[in-house]
Amino acid sequence: MVPLCYCRFLDRLQLRELKDSLIIFCTDVFSAMLIRATGQNLRLAYLFSLESLDLVKQIEVSEILSSGDIAALIYLWNPFTIVACVGLSTSPVENMAVILCLYGACSRLIPLAAFGWVIATHLSLYPAILIIPVIFLLGCGPDAPPRKLFLQRHQQEEVLNQSKLPLGFSWRPIIHFAFWALLWSVYVLVLCGISLKQFGGIWEMFKSTYGFILTVEDLSPNIGVLWYFFAEVFDFFRNFFLIVFHVNIIFMILPLAIRLCHRPCFLAFVYIAIFSMLKSYPSVGDSALYLGLLGWFVNELADMQFSFFLFCGYFGVSLLSPVMHNLWIWRGTGNANFYFATAMVYACLQIILVVEGVSAMLNHDRKLRNLTTGKPRDAKS
Amino acid sequence: MATFINFKALVQLLLLPCLLLCSSIAYNSSSVKATMHTNNWAVLVCTSRFWFNYRHMANTLSLYRTVKRLGIPDERIILMLADDMACNTRNKYPAQVFNNENHRLNLYGDNVEVDYRGYEVTVENFLRVLTGRHETAVPRSKRLLSDEGSHILLYMTGHGGDEFLKFQDSEELQSHDLADAVKQMKEKHRFKELLIMVDTCQAATLFNQLQSPGVLAIGSSMKGENSYSHHLDSDVGVSVVDRFTYYTLAFFERLNIYDNASLSSLFSSYNPSTLMSTAYYRRDLYQRRLEEVPVTNFFGSVMETIHTDAAYKALSRKISDRSESQISLDQSIHREERRMLININVCDEIHDVSTEGQEDDSKCPWSAFYRKMQKIENVDSLVNYGLVAMLPFLVFSTWLFH
Repeated sequence: MVPLCYCRFLDRLQLRELKDSLIIFCTDVFSAMLIRATGQNLRLAYLFSLESLDLVKQIEVSEILSSGDIAALIYLWNPFTIVACVGLSTSPVENMAVILCLYGACSRLIPLAAFGWVIATHLSLYPAILIIPVIFLLGCGPDAPPRKLFLQRHQQEEVLNQSKLPLGFSWRPIIHFAFWALLWSVYVLVLCGISLKQFGGIWEMFKSTYGFILTVEDLSPNIGVLWYFFAEVFDFFRNFFLIVFHVNIIFMILPLAIRLCHRPCFLAFVYIAIFSMLKSYPSVGDSALYLGLLGWFVNELADMQFSFFLFCGYFGVSLLSPVMHNLWIWRGTGNANFYFATAMVYACLQIILVVEGVSAMLNHDRKLRNLTTGKPRDAKS
Repeated sequence: MATFINFKALVQLLLLPCLLLCSSIAYNSSSVKATMHTNNWAVLVCTSRFWFNYRHMANTLSLYRTVKRLGIPDERIILMLADDMACNTRNKYPAQVFNNENHRLNLYGDNVEVDYRGYEVTVENFLRVLTGRHETAVPRSKRLLSDEGSHILLYMTGHGGDEFLKFQDSEELQSHDLADAVKQMKEKHRFKELLIMVDTCQAATLFNQLQSPGVLAIGSSMKGENSYSHHLDSDVGVSVVDRFTYYTLAFFERLNIYDNASLSSLFSSYNPSTLMSTAYYRRDLYQRRLEEVPVTNFFGSVMETIHTDAAYKALSRKISDRSESQISLDQSIHREERRMLININVCDEIHDVSTEGQEDDSKCPWSAFYRKMQKIENVDSLVNYGLVAMLPFLVFSTWLFH
């Protein structure tokens, strides 16, 4: 159904560039299929954990939505994804690499996960932090309530049924992953070195790609917040603020990893949302990725607050932001503050989404804990 | 809990290199990039008016002629003359300005472009030229459009004193004004190196307050000394040149554009007994050794050219470019030799032997691979094959290890 709608959409506009964007369109469809597969994997894991906690009767299984289908549909029909596809951006390719990595890690296909991670890091630097959720996924398995919940449950019943306990952390898949990641990165770097010999070699490539991302040389306006800031910072403080902005992403890694280590896919979602917001050159293609991945957690995040506010906010910002850009750059009647205001609102909305998402997930865990410890609480409230 | 500590260590291990990477990249961007010397500018200022200050005009015009002769074009010279001597009513030789009583050289020739004339030469305009802060209507020919690769020669002559220079007989440029302007120029990257040459009484005091790096300054006399004129031209009726400028010109008249006399030879050519004052130069702000700096770095416009065989190659890989050009040259010679081989059996056998030799090498895969890599035209296809081969390798490895 979805490919048919896409094809009709493309034919209606009848532009040659859209037919050239067939590759990107296929990339998007492939990513959606991978999201669906991973979502089904997560749903199975969720059902398995419910079963092992003996909560199957208290939480209606039929109410558990098929998160894979929902996530895939959200990703494909997201206006941001469509805009990125029509604009022939390379964001869909970067998104596909990230999704490939997560799919490989969820399905224990270690070479695939390593490939996805290496390619995602090579294309844009920030997915490197996804190594932590991937390690958790390979070591522990997909999302599940905290391990101590299982131990508590079985201590209560004094029955240690091995088949119902989730596996402990194992290092072997991690070592495999490290080996494959090393192999793929050597492959990619050798190819880059060969093709760039005339242009200054690998070091020139790193300076132009990673160096450019980290030093934020070009201050063209974008939907992020760094350009406005760095346009007015004094040169003396520029390096300091560069470090501050990048450490802003880095220092959130550790606490989130500690708190959400039992839910690696959700941790990956939070990391993707954070670096999509705080990266030096964000775009709506990056938002398309985490908004799609939000669909994996429809069951757990059903009670998220401010969801309607966020939806209206995203809608409003995506309408106002091009208008303000046009006013400033093309008509000359506005100024940078108009456009930057929409960028700030966008950043605020992303922050609210992340914060509310994490608190809703933790509330869900708390609810599961209360149900397993048998406190008199209705499961449906 | 033991697993938690392992994770912490892991995450810390990941934090450290990221921080190091950020800091090293930040440090690299903050360290002074060696800018290339790309152009030369000259700002020549004569600050005195009235007929009896003829020699200051002649000083400035002589230096203008020298600087143009050695290569700096008019677009990059800002000439400021406070009065008009050539067309002065007192000038016996109308439209001619001489700096020697033998009248050999007419300094006011056909192509003198004066940018600031008469009452436009003020301290305010001078500082505006240096700092680049003009009104919007000022034309480009009156602006000092230097950039971070510029070497600037600043020559000032007139009447001066202890830490000041007199402009138009009515205002003064003080040494801290000049130092402030130079500091602003340095902040705005308006020069790579600056040579200040001052020919006035007590000239060396004018750059007492300078602090910016990359500045070299020479004055015709020290504190308490006067700078004297060289000789009186009885025909024109006034002194026509100052001693310091006269000996500077004597040094430059011996040079042409191809000589590479150094700044230290210029500075050591001043003899205090003939100058009747001590020419003092200040080099503590200048990092390079004066013996290595050719005078044409400031007084002329001689640029270093880098020859590259092909266009659009990165400048930083000069060495690899040369080696690649040598390799391609060798290959082309080899190909030519092959073409020159006539159909003689012996030559054919040699040809076959050489190809066989190549095939033998290919049995050792590394040398064949390396030779293949050096052929530039094969690189793109190799990379394409590599990229395409990645997908089946991925599928195969995934199937094998699932």
